[in-house]
Amino acid sequence: MNFNTELLHGSAVSHYSQKEILPPISQVSAFKYDSMEELEKVFAHKAMGYAYTRIGNPTLTAFENRMKSLECGANAVSCSSGMSAITLSLLALCNSGDEIIVGKGLYGGTINLFHDLEKFGIHTVFANDMTAEGIKPLISDKTRAIFGELISNPALNILDVRGVAKAANEAGVPLIVDSTTATPFIARPIELGANIVIHSTSKYINGGGNSIGGIIIDGGNFAWDFDKHTSISEFRKYGKMAFSIRLRTDIWENFGCCMSPVNAFLNYIGLDTLGLRMERICANADALAHALNEIDGIEVNYLSLPHHKFHGYFESMLNGLGGGILTFRAGSKGKAFRIINSLKCAMIASNIGDLRTLVIHPASTLYAHTPKEEMEAAGVYDDTIRVSVGIEDVNDLINDFKTAIQESKGE
Amino acid sequence: MLITVSGEKKEYAEGLTVTELIAQEKVEMLEYVTVSLNEEFLQRENFDNQKLNDGDVVEFLYFMGGGK
Repeated sequence: MNFNTELLHGSAVSHYSQKEILPPISQVSAFKYDSMEELEKVFAHKAMGYAYTRIGNPTLTAFENRMKSLECGANAVSCSSGMSAITLSLLALCNSGDEIIVGKGLYGGTINLFHDLEKFGIHTVFANDMTAEGIKPLISDKTRAIFGELISNPALNILDVRGVAKAANEAGVPLIVDSTTATPFIARPIELGANIVIHSTSKYINGGGNSIGGIIIDGGNFAWDFDKHTSISEFRKYGKMAFSIRLRTDIWENFGCCMSPVNAFLNYIGLDTLGLRMERICANADALAHALNEIDGIEVNYLSLPHHKFHGYFESMLNGLGGGILTFRAGSKGKAFRIINSLKCAMIASNIGDLRTLVIHPASTLYAHTPKEEMEAAGVYDDTIRVSVGIEDVNDLINDFKTAIQESKGE
Repeated sequence: MLITVSGEKKEYAEGLTVTELIAQEKVEMLEYVTVSLNEEFLQRENFDNQKLNDGDVVEFLYFMGGGK
């Protein structure tokens, strides 16, 4: 089956108890049992069942199962946000004194998180280049994970998943890929060799901009060395599933970062149109990027543009799809603000992956608390505008941006 | 041969595989089950080929309910 058919009719679309087409929303805190013996078995993992929504809920399971299948993983754990998904995956793997290697040019919130983790003794080493050659010299005996965004937001740097995964795994280190901006429609990191995939489901997975969430998908494909990854050594009997079993039954459960059942449902129904939306969004972004690129004085950053420094991966890893984010430099902060304020179709909002086109001036918002050097490494300058392209009629979008840019010149 | 399944000792035919045991025991919600054999986790892709032996201990585990 192809992408959309598999999504709608594949094995991950479960048969629910009353033959519902969609999973019911189990909007409850707890589940009741007829006897203590039954509940004891559930707590001991020896019977299928749920006890308390923070540690499991059927609507969450339905969404996790679908995401696990989409990303070709072995296990999935949904979280309250994309940020909590990143945090929990790293806390499951790292002890104080350990190191992680991360790509530069990440989302500002993620960079801020890595600064927070320093206070807990988890040190971040930034890699200029997310290729095998770029990360090999940075791996030490303290390295416990390598983390990067497949298509970084908003720099649009590309993580060479095949190369980095091979180099990382040879050094006994798992590769964690944040695939939020790529989505499984564009690329499936686990198929390319990654070990763990993360999404902020608030973005393209949900698609409608109506709920915050995150998910961690374990590929079940990493041979853990429990003398090295001591944080999961207690779970060694689960072999390649040790990470996700520790995550679910320990870190995730105890930190209390569960997704709400309603959000799991909204994400589940959002998935139904993932293929359609991504096809349209990528086509719109490509057309808008090419149109803006023809305007004098506007410097456009989009992966399908032949001059883009990562254009080679556009065909080799991204199946000729550049995703929904593009950035362009307006010339000055004032001009960037004037352009943004003049747009009629695009909304000023701090999000990506919505059906609607959204714009923001990242330097004064998402990177307001990030050191300038790290901000510029993330492809964000004082005059950068980030566009999260939506599904509008593309000619309306192009006209809207062209008009706003023209008007900003006259002021 | 005698195999302990979910804490209960039972007689099974020689040469039984994990897949056959799952069918015989009518294991529910198969997509969510984790199988351990003698306290070692089994990869799902090995269920078909993994033969069981006399004295084996098999557990069907679910991780939705809670508890470490």
